[in-house]
Amino acid sequence: MKKSIALILVCTLALFLFAACDDGSSEAPAYGNPSQDTPAQDTPAQDAPAQDTSNFDNRREIIVVSRESGSGTRGAFVELTGVEVSADGNTTDMTSPEAVIGNNTNAIMTNVSGDLYAIGYISTGSIDNSIKAVNIDGVEPTPANILAGNYKIARPFIVVTMDGLSPVAQDFLSFIMSQEGQEIVADRYIPVDQSAPAFESNRATGTVVVGGSTSVSPVVERLAEAYQEINTGANIEVHATGSGAGITGAIDGVVDIGMSSRNIRDSEMENLYQQITIAMDGIAVIVNNDNPLTNLTMEEVREIFTGEKTRWSDVH
Amino acid sequence: MKKQLIESVMKYIFMLAATVSILAVALICAFLFINGVPAMHEIGFFNFLLGRVWAPSDTPQVFGIFPMILGSIYITAGAIIVGVPIGVLTAIFMAKFCPPILYRYLKPATQLLAGIPSIVYGFFGLIVIVPMVRETFGITFGGNGQSIFTASILLGIMILPTIIGVSEAAIRAVPESYYEAAVAMGASHERSVFFVVTPAAGSGIMTSIILGVGRAIGETMAVILVAGNQARMPTGLFRGVRTLTANIVMEMGYAAELHREALIATGVVLFVFILIINVLFNLMKKRGQQL
Repeated sequence: MKKSIALILVCTLALFLFAACDDGSSEAPAYGNPSQDTPAQDTPAQDAPAQDTSNFDNRREIIVVSRESGSGTRGAFVELTGVEVSADGNTTDMTSPEAVIGNNTNAIMTNVSGDLYAIGYISTGSIDNSIKAVNIDGVEPTPANILAGNYKIARPFIVVTMDGLSPVAQDFLSFIMSQEGQEIVADRYIPVDQSAPAFESNRATGTVVVGGSTSVSPVVERLAEAYQEINTGANIEVHATGSGAGITGAIDGVVDIGMSSRNIRDSEMENLYQQITIAMDGIAVIVNNDNPLTNLTMEEVREIFTGEKTRWSDVH
Repeated sequence: MKKQLIESVMKYIFMLAATVSILAVALICAFLFINGVPAMHEIGFFNFLLGRVWAPSDTPQVFGIFPMILGSIYITAGAIIVGVPIGVLTAIFMAKFCPPILYRYLKPATQLLAGIPSIVYGFFGLIVIVPMVRETFGITFGGNGQSIFTASILLGIMILPTIIGVSEAAIRAVPESYYEAAVAMGASHERSVFFVVTPAAGSGIMTSIILGVGRAIGETMAVILVAGNQARMPTGLFRGVRTLTANIVMEMGYAAELHREALIATGVVLFVFILIINVLFNLMKKRGQQL
């Protein structure tokens, strides 16, 4: 008797569990799976997007999604949008303490694509159709706009050197700025020179030590690999130590070429021989595909990310 | 002669094997304390432990991990509230009420729960539990579903296998004579189980809970995906929070200099927490042996 009761109990529990799971997955498409909704916008069936827009309740709270402290993307974003406040040599990152934190681009994108009311930021190179990039001050975050300087949330990837560069280091620099080098850059970032000349190596041999920004080093590593295939006598070492360490390293002569993902300060430039911008990287503000928002002003971006504006009705 | 040689060689091989784990613990201890303690000293011990602001990218930098300590404690407490009643009742059911046919499937199912990688739990939480919490509580309480509440539910599920396994073993270890005596004195099956056998297994059940706490406080990957990770003082059950483990793993990638050392110091704090839990565990075991 008791055994049969127990069995029935377990069966009902199991059924309940499955039912609950079903609930979750059937709800998901309406809210969390915008990639399936996107094609609907191209088809004549206009009711789907219209319905989505009416689903959007702009009285709801804005869910701010940010990167973690120390991330180069966050550093550049807060600096460019004015979320970071400087006074008397002190800088304070005013990012809303309520912001959900993700520690990589994918985490940000999963959060934003799964939450109708979320807003976040990622490198423009990572934009895909699972999320929607909004225009800033009416300017779309396209490579052309970033290169022309119209899209304001963009940062340069810079290399710095001292005078008297070794021939092999000079050769590596000219490879970066050549047609081949800029093609590698264009794979993920925005090349600065669309009509660069083809590369011709001077066949110098030796070791080049490159150090600095963790954001720049992946692309420089790929450039180094390609360069070492062309000039087999060269050995390029790439160390990701951070922009600050890269610049001081170049000044102190610890590295031949320093990498930076932020602008070089005047005080630093006094000690350096040259700085070369090798690529541009835009940072796009992204929202859910079903969010009707298409444009934000720079000021609104700042207010959202500092938590001054907390409801979607404040910006719609 | 040859036998003796093999004997002594093997002795050293076994000894070496035994030292490896001790050496690993010693090295980890040394690494944590050598790297972490100077940072704690530089930041100021109380500023570090009780500071309410964590802002490593500001100038001057601020490192206070009190929000993360609270976060770890809240989430662990939540996991205990969710996991312990379910786990202990499941263990009692499995030991004393379960029909053998069901037991054959139930036991492997609970063991399988222990084998699921934590990142899979986290993903399940992010895709299933987070949207459910968001839809149910989001309008009333705000938040996006990544919250103390969500993390507690997920961790409560994750500690179930530990609690069920250890509790069930403890209940089965209670001598049958206890049960027989209770029944002989006229108590029903249920009454004997709940008022005689289960209290006798008390220290074993406590042990299972402490092991559950250890698992919950050390969990990282699953928590990161569902907790929101805000490095500020917890503001509510349906708001996000950052745990000590999440703090380390989130920021280690880019951290340099004092920031990096502060993260290692966070590891020291976590390590001390785990040590306390282990001491408690051993005390419980001793008490259990005395009974």
